[in-house]
Amino acid sequence: MYFAKHHNVVLIMLGEFEYLILSAAFRLQENAYGAAIRQQIETATKRRCSIGALYTTLDRLENKGLIKTAMGDPTPQRGGRPKRMVRVTGKGVRAASEFYATVTRMSRGVSWETQARNES
Amino acid sequence: MKCLWWWLVEPVSRFLDRDEREAVLGDLAESRQSGPRALLDVLDVVIRRQARLWMTWRPWLILFALILPVGMLLSILSRQTSDLSAIYLWMYANNWDAALTHNPGFWRLFAETAVSIFISYLTLACWSWTGGFVLGSLSRAMSTLNSLLLCLILFFGQVIGAPDYFAFFRDKAFGDLHLPDPNAAVFEVGFYRVVLPVIVQILIVAIPALWGFRLATGMGILRRLLSAGLWTAAITTMAVVVMPEVGLWFFMATRIFHANEPSWIWTGIMSGMKYLQPVQFWPIAFLIAHAITQRGLRRARA
Repeated sequence: MYFAKHHNVVLIMLGEFEYLILSAAFRLQENAYGAAIRQQIETATKRRCSIGALYTTLDRLENKGLIKTAMGDPTPQRGGRPKRMVRVTGKGVRAASEFYATVTRMSRGVSWETQARNES
Repeated sequence: MKCLWWWLVEPVSRFLDRDEREAVLGDLAESRQSGPRALLDVLDVVIRRQARLWMTWRPWLILFALILPVGMLLSILSRQTSDLSAIYLWMYANNWDAALTHNPGFWRLFAETAVSIFISYLTLACWSWTGGFVLGSLSRAMSTLNSLLLCLILFFGQVIGAPDYFAFFRDKAFGDLHLPDPNAAVFEVGFYRVVLPVIVQILIVAIPALWGFRLATGMGILRRLLSAGLWTAAITTMAVVVMPEVGLWFFMATRIFHANEPSWIWTGIMSGMKYLQPVQFWPIAFLIAHAITQRGLRRARA
């Protein structure tokens, strides 16, 4: 966990995977739970998302206070098992926003796509 | 129909907390994973969870300070009890004579022996249940793994630990005397040497210990007074088991502390222990009270 002091507020620097989970959970809003977040990440990254990595990162984010989780109601399509519902907290929104702003600032003036085309 | 892989997913997922297990299995069912993939996914979660837990000191302390000594002690006591009952069983089985059945003295002695063996088995079962209960109360977060570890230690205790302990004890106590074993004929028979100890270990030790373990992990937070009462009973039972175990003190004194033999202090404690012996049967009273309470709760719900 990385901390940075910024405008007298302690901001938590996220990891890449943590940011992906926060973004997916925020996009899904009240439909954010394990399987849905996983599917969003797999679609966006075109890579397999391990369920172990997802659940351990959810725990870490919850410990940091960036998300809150709660057990939902059981549904028949899940074999009568409940979902672990995820809600991004205000602190989580600020952390994700700061991460995005940092990546955007760092990427300013860097044209990766042109470079990648030249390399290939 | 579920394939074999899905049947394996269920027991592996038991290593997870109940809520997490439900969420993970639900996610796997919803995403319609193949059986092998689902098994790998559950294993992935379990390994990550266990790795995180074992990075703290608490599970190691529970393993080395509780599971290992309790498992070894139960294995030693199990072997002691099964060997003692084997001698009586052999004696009756090999010296059975129809004429004896007409002798009232024979039946009296037979009844006394049967009762004494029964009480020794019941005591062992109560000790095992108490051991399992204590372990279960202290390791709720890792209940499945710890019960598996307890079974493994009981197995190795039976195969290696207890025979080594008794060999050490015999050598230290009687090694120089070169006395023939008076019970050698009994233990030449494979049934008494191998099969009976295994049966006793499984039925009288492992099953009650796992029962106590399961009950303790399934219980919610108890009222302070009840919790204090249960712990007092459990600790007294463990003391009653450990203190009079002369062999254990001999083993510790000579092997660990390099002393000659247990001092008179231990003799005094041991004689005092006999007054606490009824406490070791507390699991019976607890199980009866628990069954009555559960029945009352079920009736109230109905």
